[in-house]
Amino acid sequence: MKKLLVFLFAITGIQAIAQKMEGMVTYDRTQDYVKIMSRMTFLSLDQKERMKATNKNYSSKPTQMVLYFNEDQSLYTNADEYWRSENGQWSYRNSDYIIRRDFKQETQSDVIEMLGRTYLIDDSLKTPKWKILNQLKDIAGHICMKAETEDPIKQQKIVAWFAQDIPIPAGPEQYSGLPGLILELDLNDGDVVVTASKIDLRDVSKELTANKKIKGRKIKSADYDKIIKDHIQTSMKAQENPYWTIRY
Amino acid sequence: MKKIFLLLFLTVCCSAVFAQQSGRISIRGSITDTSKALMPGATVMLLTPKDSALVNFGRTNDKGAFEFRNVRRAPYILKVSYVGFLPLQVEVNPEAGDATDLGALSIKPIQKELLEVVIKTAKAPLSIRGDTVEYNASSFKVPPGSTVEELLRKLPGMQVDQDGNIKAQGEDVKKVTVDGKTFFGSDPKLATKNLPADAISKVQVFNDKTEAAKTTGIDDGKREKAVNLELKESHRKGGFGKVTAGIGNKDRFQLRGNYNRFNTKEQMSVIGLGNNINQTGLSFDDYQDFRGSQSFNWEDQGDFGFYSGGVYFFGGDDGMGVPITGGGSNNRGFSRNYAGGANYNYDTKKTKLSSNYFYNQSGLTLGSDLEKETFLPNSSFLNTDQKSQGSLTRNHRGSARFEQKLDSLNTLVLIGNLRANNGNTALFSDQNFFQGVNQTTRTSQTQFDNRNQFNGFQLATTAIFRHSFRKKGRNFAASVAYNVNDTDGSAQQRSTNTYFNDTTATGAPTIFRINQDNVTNSLRTEIKSSLDYIEPLSKTTFWETFYNFSLRNDKVDRDVFDVGDQGSVRNNTLSRYYTNDFTYNRVGSLIRYSDKGFNVSGGLAALWFHQAGKFASDQASSSFTKVDRSYFSLVPNVSLNFNRKNKRFNAGYNVNVNQPQTSDLQPVVDNSNPRFIREGNPDLLPALTHRVSGGFGVFNPGSFVNVFVNLNYGYNINQIVYNQTIDTLLVTTTKPVNISGGTTKGGSIYFSFPLKKTKAVLNTNFYTNLNKFPTYINNALNQTNSNSYNMYASLDLTPSEKFTFYPTFNFSITDTKYSVNKAQNLTIYNYNYGGNMNVMLPKGVFFNARMSYMIYKNPKFDFRQELPILNLSVYKLFLKDNKAEVRLTAYDVFNKNRGISQQAYQNYVQTERIQTLARYFMLSFSYNLRGLKSQMRQNNYF
Repeated sequence: MKKLLVFLFAITGIQAIAQKMEGMVTYDRTQDYVKIMSRMTFLSLDQKERMKATNKNYSSKPTQMVLYFNEDQSLYTNADEYWRSENGQWSYRNSDYIIRRDFKQETQSDVIEMLGRTYLIDDSLKTPKWKILNQLKDIAGHICMKAETEDPIKQQKIVAWFAQDIPIPAGPEQYSGLPGLILELDLNDGDVVVTASKIDLRDVSKELTANKKIKGRKIKSADYDKIIKDHIQTSMKAQENPYWTIRY
Repeated sequence: MKKIFLLLFLTVCCSAVFAQQSGRISIRGSITDTSKALMPGATVMLLTPKDSALVNFGRTNDKGAFEFRNVRRAPYILKVSYVGFLPLQVEVNPEAGDATDLGALSIKPIQKELLEVVIKTAKAPLSIRGDTVEYNASSFKVPPGSTVEELLRKLPGMQVDQDGNIKAQGEDVKKVTVDGKTFFGSDPKLATKNLPADAISKVQVFNDKTEAAKTTGIDDGKREKAVNLELKESHRKGGFGKVTAGIGNKDRFQLRGNYNRFNTKEQMSVIGLGNNINQTGLSFDDYQDFRGSQSFNWEDQGDFGFYSGGVYFFGGDDGMGVPITGGGSNNRGFSRNYAGGANYNYDTKKTKLSSNYFYNQSGLTLGSDLEKETFLPNSSFLNTDQKSQGSLTRNHRGSARFEQKLDSLNTLVLIGNLRANNGNTALFSDQNFFQGVNQTTRTSQTQFDNRNQFNGFQLATTAIFRHSFRKKGRNFAASVAYNVNDTDGSAQQRSTNTYFNDTTATGAPTIFRINQDNVTNSLRTEIKSSLDYIEPLSKTTFWETFYNFSLRNDKVDRDVFDVGDQGSVRNNTLSRYYTNDFTYNRVGSLIRYSDKGFNVSGGLAALWFHQAGKFASDQASSSFTKVDRSYFSLVPNVSLNFNRKNKRFNAGYNVNVNQPQTSDLQPVVDNSNPRFIREGNPDLLPALTHRVSGGFGVFNPGSFVNVFVNLNYGYNINQIVYNQTIDTLLVTTTKPVNISGGTTKGGSIYFSFPLKKTKAVLNTNFYTNLNKFPTYINNALNQTNSNSYNMYASLDLTPSEKFTFYPTFNFSITDTKYSVNKAQNLTIYNYNYGGNMNVMLPKGVFFNARMSYMIYKNPKFDFRQELPILNLSVYKLFLKDNKAEVRLTAYDVFNKNRGISQQAYQNYVQTERIQTLARYFMLSFSYNLRGLKSQMRQNNYF
């Protein structure tokens, strides 16, 4: 009987043994506009280098994002509905961006504002094909391992660092599906870097269940991919940066 | 019940396994540490051997065991990770049965110092490739000037002995490479003893094939320890440059080039240009290449106030900064221009330094034809003015800017700009005045020949100190500035004024001659200081208070001499010596609120201004006329700004206070044009404009439809206008005075939308300005109402990569009404049809045609001028990365170019025609190390 139980534990694996884990991660998201502009195929080397040189002394300020997670679900969104400048002179509304993942039901439900409208994307959970690499790094006090994948639509190289000691498959932006919580995400060699600054293990059931009604157009993941793909193609053709109007 | 359930569960699972026996297997094992202790909670991952792709993952149970069930029968890599342990990789080759048991796998702890020092303390990524580790060198602090050897001593797992021999993980390092390349032969010590530690970004320790294996290509299986040093970006150097040289008919030429050397900290650049095709300054691109990282500095404005920061200024040749004219040719006469300079920047996070020197000179030959009708109460007169002018100006400019972050809370910025200029001008003018019916009777003629020369020196220095308090949002800033402007000029004025109606008894016309020399020395010094303090009242409310002070001293000594047969005699009426001291104080306060896209600010400033001046005909004079005035005003400022999804709204009310220009204030009579005499007015008050503005914008980033609407209204108090007194001989004397009641109203609508995505975009813009402008003409109040209506439309047609076309249409009507003489009301029309076409031909050849068809019309004067200007060019890009370009250009194919301007203003209307560059052909060659680009697209607004 004992043996049988052990065997059972082994099969059921992770859920059976891990302590109950839930909490909130605060991330700093930094977008390097100069690097992104440098990827525009319609700009010449001369223009790119000039832009880099002129903007050398300026760096983008990070925006704050939050991730609520428990073993079954996660929710990633803007830390504040509004962006505020440090001196209080300016504030503007952040675009809607709510990324929900349900690992138990294997569903995803996203609210993404882009191209002037809000889309509601509900579909079954899709996990990128991760490669696991042999690098270790400390992020916010957790030793993380490196994993890589790529975004076939935006053609971005994605690097994620996941915590060895937080066995939750959640992560920032639209990324998930690693053996540990993603604490840093790097899109295209630093174009966008999302790094955890604070991890707070606490009861977040309220935040996870809160459901603000947001109106929008209901689409499926495949439609979303198509919209993004078409937009990038059209913008590049029109020689405009597609990422002024969609999230990088 | 529980047991039954378990049993049931087991049965189902087992049957599933049996069913897929051939293709599906399970993999199990357990994890221990090196002392055989079980490791519960370790992460186990199943990867494909080919690309390490994650297939499945799980964790070990409390007995340290794991099992992957029902996975495809294939070779895998099992990867085990656990905090504080080296990741373990095991190859899994499925055994014949349903289950492959890997047994107990032991994981090794990470060397404690690696864990503590590299990962925890230095927060550096540690790469582990089997036995290979990579260190992030910048995480290990060594004293400045240290060699790599000293750096290696600091790295965990590395030892360097007295002689410099290196050991990594206990083995001798046989080879040291730099960026993968062997450094100074095979002795590894050469690199480590010679390279500075601060040049290195990463140290990689790995097992390399032996040299023998590499040369023979036969892997002997032996590995030896090797170290690779990766250089920092800053020690990677770069350089770029470009040059354009062109030669044309009519001796036209242009030369333009720059070269830059840079690394991450420093940038050194030189630039030079020379041409006789009216390009007087730098283009924006040239300017950015020249100034590099310090092209734009946002917080260099030391005059804090309602709008602080965010101001930078691009200027032409009159300012202190490097002249930027956009690189195009202007349509004023013929100029020959030379310029050159050097710039050096040094940028680190803490210190930023920029310094440059720039010289430019411009020689201008200008011939112009002016026709001007001036309206008087109940009459008018016409005059023509044929001018020819030659001038040469030279400017030396030097500037330095130093910014130092003293610590995380304090920043100091020092800015110094220096300019020394000199020049001379010769101006010949032949003016004829007509009156009577249809203004056909010539009543007078004036011809003058004036020569001027000047020498100037200007200095502008600013120091700004900024302090951020620990409390977020609380800031303090202080600035001090000292400016000097010292100009010495001299002039010769020779003129003959003939009045045909004013005849003497003999019947000959009266002739007045002016034969004067003058010398003017003027010196202006100014000390300014500002303070600014921001206190956050809450997260969303901020209170800002500022104070500005300035003390300005003007000193002008002007000596005018009548030159006659007896030599020079001082003219005491026109000679002047004066001093003016201006004291200016302003204190203001405002509250800003910003939340949820709603930004509003409101404030009030009080300004106090005192002028103490004295003037006389000579500095030795016993009786000075004194000016002693004070001025006080309250200045409100309100602005509101509201951002909503795809919508924007703004409104504002403010009062602008404009100080009179120095030239308007000086009690000096300028008779350089004897028919248009300018007098200064030391009693001028600052001009105030109350301005209300508002606008809203709607934009749809999905459909690219943009609409912007703006409205503004301004009411002038003490506006500075130029009163005119015209005597019977038609000599105009103008004097600036303050007058209230003038208004400006403006409105604009901008609309842009794609007709066909990526292929055709339509932009339209309507704007109108309605101005009411009072002034005194011969002591009668005249009100000029000038209403202009403009329309602009353009199409961006980009049907393919090989063909683009940008037609534009521009139309403006200016309707002017003169209350003093209603019969003279008139309307001016300007039309411009333009187009820019680009065609890509085979073999890297491109064709560009730029057309501008301008029509100037003034029906009242039967004036109609048409200017069809067509520029054509063919160019070919060649060499690797399109580094070279050869271009043949035909400017103004129809040989029609002329500078034309039509103006209706105050009490006159005038048309000016200026001869300028017309048809010429030019063959030019460009070379750019960073490659050139075809200009198929008109705008790359990014």
